[in-house]
Amino acid sequence: MGEWQRKHLLGLKDLSREEIEVILNSAQAFKEVSEREVKKVPALRGKTVVNLFFEPSTRTKTSFELAAKRLSADVVNFSSSGSSLFKGETILDTLKNIEAYSVDIFVLRHSVSGVAFYLSQRTTSSVVNAGDGQNEHPTQALLDMFTVREKLGSLENLKVAIIGDIYHSRVARSNIWGFSKFSSSVYVCAPKTLIPKYFDNLPCKITYSLKTALSQAQVVIMLRIQKERMKERFFSSQREYVKYYSLNEENLKFLPPEALVLHPGPVNWDIEIASSLKEKVSNLILEQVSNGLAVRMAVLYLLAEKRSYEVID
Amino acid sequence: MKLLIKQGVIVNPDFKKRADILIENSQISRIEENISEQGADKIISAEGKFIFPGFIDLHTHLRTPGREDEEDLLSGSLSATKGGFTTLLSMPNTIPPIDNYEIALRIRKEAEKIGLVDIYPVGAITKNREGKEISEFGFLAEAGCLAVSDDGFPLKETSLLRRALEYAENFNLLVISHCEDLSLSKGGLIRESPLSAEWGIPSVPEISETVDLVRQIEVARYLNSRVHFAHISSKRSAELIKRAKEEGINITAETCPHYFTFSLKEIEESGFSPLYKVNPPLGREEDKLALKEALKEGVIDVIATDHAPHTYLEKEVDFKSAEFGMIGLEFALPLSLGLVREGFLSLEDLTCRLSYRPAQILNLKDRGYIKEGLRADLTIVDTEREQLITKENIFSKSKNTPLLGKVLKGEVVYTIYKGKIVYSSSR
Repeated sequence: MGEWQRKHLLGLKDLSREEIEVILNSAQAFKEVSEREVKKVPALRGKTVVNLFFEPSTRTKTSFELAAKRLSADVVNFSSSGSSLFKGETILDTLKNIEAYSVDIFVLRHSVSGVAFYLSQRTTSSVVNAGDGQNEHPTQALLDMFTVREKLGSLENLKVAIIGDIYHSRVARSNIWGFSKFSSSVYVCAPKTLIPKYFDNLPCKITYSLKTALSQAQVVIMLRIQKERMKERFFSSQREYVKYYSLNEENLKFLPPEALVLHPGPVNWDIEIASSLKEKVSNLILEQVSNGLAVRMAVLYLLAEKRSYEVID
Repeated sequence: MKLLIKQGVIVNPDFKKRADILIENSQISRIEENISEQGADKIISAEGKFIFPGFIDLHTHLRTPGREDEEDLLSGSLSATKGGFTTLLSMPNTIPPIDNYEIALRIRKEAEKIGLVDIYPVGAITKNREGKEISEFGFLAEAGCLAVSDDGFPLKETSLLRRALEYAENFNLLVISHCEDLSLSKGGLIRESPLSAEWGIPSVPEISETVDLVRQIEVARYLNSRVHFAHISSKRSAELIKRAKEEGINITAETCPHYFTFSLKEIEESGFSPLYKVNPPLGREEDKLALKEALKEGVIDVIATDHAPHTYLEKEVDFKSAEFGMIGLEFALPLSLGLVREGFLSLEDLTCRLSYRPAQILNLKDRGYIKEGLRADLTIVDTEREQLITKENIFSKSKNTPLLGKVLKGEVVYTIYKGKIVYSSSR
């Protein structure tokens, strides 16, 4: 098992397969912690984690907050939606101001792609990207991969289908980078309007046919679709989207029986996934949530460890 | 007052030669191989330096009136002199816009009082820049405007574009047109590209510029009217302009130093520094190369700066919140000299792109060339001298440029405007 050398976790694009494995293995250990009666470990005692959320989020923020608390870190939440200018302060000023309290790790969520990278180059603290615009959401992809590895035993040579609003999805991008590192083939599937031009530069295959995407796939990741995209002319109606891109009893038969259906949540039932499949897929989607906690504990732990080595050096 | 410039190399669009220049009463009175120093009030030794006709910028934002915190006529004038510019056009996207006689005249008069550079306000094509009713072009021309533009916005309605071209001709005004299909560019921050796809960044497709360009070329062709296209940023646009010119359509075009110096590569390498955020957005490497070729061939007539000052708070935010634009007056020369060093342009071509063609396009017959009888607007350049760009040595009020901390080669050592030395490098 390799060692973790990075100061930040900004995305899966730049991570090697070995680095992803380090996180997943560490998450395995932390998952066991969450199953104990006493769920807290002192790994991050005396460390400060700040959740810096510039975009509304409850699920991801809760997950990171709980992860930090279970590691015994001090956690502060800073939320500000809307403009990046908070009381006339630039986002960099905001970060620097909080950094002055000797923050170890910033968990950053922002509506603009690339902001995590931008700020990581301008801070002495570590940055965990908790979602930047439409770019990456690495811990979501890591928890997807963790769930898949746990269920199927390996991430090697799988067919992974990602279906839905690829255009606007940071989850899609992180999963493409992540799964492709393990020689898995990733298919993205959506109406052409919801896949950006030049997307063939990413390590994935593009298809507009749900059948092609699903056939013999071991993993299916369904993405949330927002109704506002209709106004923006990405598709014409809910019923048409559902007819061609929804997962239901009928097209489920293209999948092998052991195939996994994942969703980053919250699910729009009867849009991305037929509600008749609710019983069948819900358990795994909830397992994703609890795995998310373990993955985030692992990430915070590895970054904090790396920082303490630096101090000793 | 007699000013004598000794032993510089005069760079005209058609030839270079070493000669002395005598300036009397704001005009070039004599150009000879050796003019006696006797009787000269001041002598400049230009040994080893190049003398260009003063640079003319067809595209500057001086933010006056309304945003004098970003730039005002004095700071803008100082910035221009440092960059070697002696004439410039100040765009009307001000608050309120330059859409009437009084505002235009006021800017012209105030700039004259400062007296460092010839500033021509550009009139707004439409009242309040709303894209609806045409401004009073006749009165704007009388106030001193040479051109009209709704820069920042395209003229969406084609019938309005048509009338504006026709009406402008009436008063001999140049129409400067901004090409952008707003329905395609809406929300976009960088050029649609592998980079935008990879990072999920809202983007502007190349066709936003080209679709609008084609529309406007067609209107110009049909009316046999003249249009000047601002800040051309793509390879395809250069191809379309070339084709139109070959057909004899009366169009001219400019590009800006940032489009032939930077590309998406710098955006990526800087970690999405908003200092690279401009409109139209930076293109690919192949666009950069094509624009250099287009400048070489004269397909693109002019290098203009699109000098766009913004305050710290307007730029030091995330890429989405940041304003579009970078300052350019002080860097146009060294960046353009880069094209000379790369072999795309000769020094004579540089005169053409920075002085001669802009003067022709504006129909200013007293400048843009160095000869006896013309106005003594001259820029003396040391092409080898290096300068480190720091906030402290920028004359513009705003410091929004990705060139901070970089060393540029080539510097203006003297700027002479109407026979007066308005800038000399202190080193």
